[in-house]
Amino acid sequence: MDSVLRAAAMYLALMVLFKIAGRRSLAELTTFDFVLLMIIGEATQQALLGDDFSMTNSMLVIVTLIAIDVGLSLLKQRSQWVSQLIDGGPTIIVENGKLLHKRLRHARLIEADVMEAARSSQGIETLDQIKFAILERNGKISVIAV
Amino acid sequence: MNDESGHTDYRNRDYPVREDMAHQVKVWRFERWGWYTLVLLVVLALLGLFSRGPLSTRDVQGSDGKVRVQYEMFHRNGSTNPMQLSVIGTPDAMVELELSGAMLEGFSIESLQPEPIRAVSAGQGMKLWVQTDAQGRANLYLTLRGDGLGLFHSRIASPGATAVDFDQFIFP
Repeated sequence: MDSVLRAAAMYLALMVLFKIAGRRSLAELTTFDFVLLMIIGEATQQALLGDDFSMTNSMLVIVTLIAIDVGLSLLKQRSQWVSQLIDGGPTIIVENGKLLHKRLRHARLIEADVMEAARSSQGIETLDQIKFAILERNGKISVIAV
Repeated sequence: MNDESGHTDYRNRDYPVREDMAHQVKVWRFERWGWYTLVLLVVLALLGLFSRGPLSTRDVQGSDGKVRVQYEMFHRNGSTNPMQLSVIGTPDAMVELELSGAMLEGFSIESLQPEPIRAVSAGQGMKLWVQTDAQGRANLYLTLRGDGLGLFHSRIASPGATAVDFDQFIFP
């Protein structure tokens, strides 16, 4: 019983924590983010398994995690509300070459982040050449050129 | 986010994507308050709310000062913490210590030093006999591993001395 509860509690806790961290936090992995992710993984693993390293326990944990994950995706498919709660929605951050500063500030983004995405995806040089830049649900910035 | 209603940045756009800015503002607010909560948790952890720190380390004595218990108020399931029991009795003699209450239900004793001369079970807990030194003092060092969850009330008693009651909490 405790394996299932552990896995479910951990899933919920991580979900809330990554919601707090915001969608940008792990979308663009820098070397440091990668190391951070590994440390989080390591810390999680200890709490998930406890001191029971049996195959049954690890299978129970994995089965629980996948069951919750699939269950949530089914729920998201059925309910628009749940989908928006878990995944959020896209946000426009540049409109007709103008930065929407308040939105950027709340999303903890700066102009350099937008321009980086514009250069790498569209080869855009200046802000004027951007028609729309959208902060997607997965934290990536998509750019539509003029 | 006080001026959120008026500013054009907070208005919904329908093209090229359909937005729900009211929800988005809530998400941002959640992120901000979530961050404050995380900082608060870090500060509380540094203070010892989750074991080992000023909030957690306790040192209590009976009213006559004969029995003294140094322990951690907060434990975490599966982790070990030290506990020190001190008792004052007749010099160079055996003194009895009784551990009762829920302590043995919530914790397993990983080590007990020095080894008591005698140990018997007594109800929910156990009785230990330890040798006092020339000043009549005896110390017992325990390593406790939190196995349970929640609050555990325990009592350390010695004949002829005021007993010490204490509570310990084990986090998941």
